[in-house]
Amino acid sequence: MLDTLLEIVNTVRNNKGLATLSDLKPSQDLRNDLGFDSLDLAELTVRIEKEHGIDIFADGFVLTVSDILAKLAK
Amino acid sequence: MKNILVTGVKQGLGLQITKTLLEQNYKVYGVAIGLSADLQTLKSQHGDRLNIITADLANIEGSIEQIFTQTIGFDVPLHGFVNNAAVAYDDIISNLNYDPLFRMYQINVFSPFMLTKHVIRNMLLHNIQGSIVHISSVSVHTGYKGLAMYASTKGALEAFSRTTAREWGERCIRSNCLVAGFMETGMSATLSVNQKDRIFKRTSLKKPTELDSVANMVEYLLSDKSLSVTGSNVFVDSGTI
Repeated sequence: MLDTLLEIVNTVRNNKGLATLSDLKPSQDLRNDLGFDSLDLAELTVRIEKEHGIDIFADGFVLTVSDILAKLAK
Repeated sequence: MKNILVTGVKQGLGLQITKTLLEQNYKVYGVAIGLSADLQTLKSQHGDRLNIITADLANIEGSIEQIFTQTIGFDVPLHGFVNNAAVAYDDIISNLNYDPLFRMYQINVFSPFMLTKHVIRNMLLHNIQGSIVHISSVSVHTGYKGLAMYASTKGALEAFSRTTAREWGERCIRSNCLVAGFMETGMSATLSVNQKDRIFKRTSLKKPTELDSVANMVEYLLSDKSLSVTGSNVFVDSGTI
């Protein structure tokens, strides 16, 4: 799960000119650690929805990598 | 080939927009409340380049399921969205009834807001620098007796479009309103000849707005010819000044 999420995160980062990350940690903050703003998070959401069929922002806030993993585990 | 989602294609302006786009080699995903003979003729002429989606936009969740989950999916990139579908509930304000008002807001306002959400998500997924065009009405800018409620729905779209442009401009997603004048379509069929004459006399050209002019401006706003045009209201209204 973390590997496919890393791939998606890197797609969004590369689209805005940020470097590819080699790994993800559950504690990482999507904004402060991964460098995403609200528009990037929208792109992240739709790319995750395509892969997993889940809209991670459909209910409540998602702040960290571990929040995403929790949504996908449901 | 560019894929464009157009709503309200059964008749009138939506049918004309669809025809214009098909003639200029776009692929159209056309949402219609039902089939018409004219729409079926277009389908027979253009085959796979016209994908008709029969849906009732008043059923917001159901229509989104039909349009995005069942038809467009994740694999079709959308390059443009034309929000054309609308109903007109006309009456003087002292006769206002909630049920038809609510239904008009579902079709004219809530549905296009939700469709725009899914269109933008599609454009993000495919890295598309897309274009959104809302069909507005000159009644937003010039008062007409009986049109307060209808005009307010179009005013909502104009405000929504301007902020869409601001919010998504950095992703090069554009949003504009085409402010149409009164046209000879089913929507104005309830007006008497006398009422129409009074409306047309308020225009510079003294005549109805041509559907063809509106459809061609829609195509311009969708195309790369208008890459610097966003957050605008473009008037095609026989010069209502």
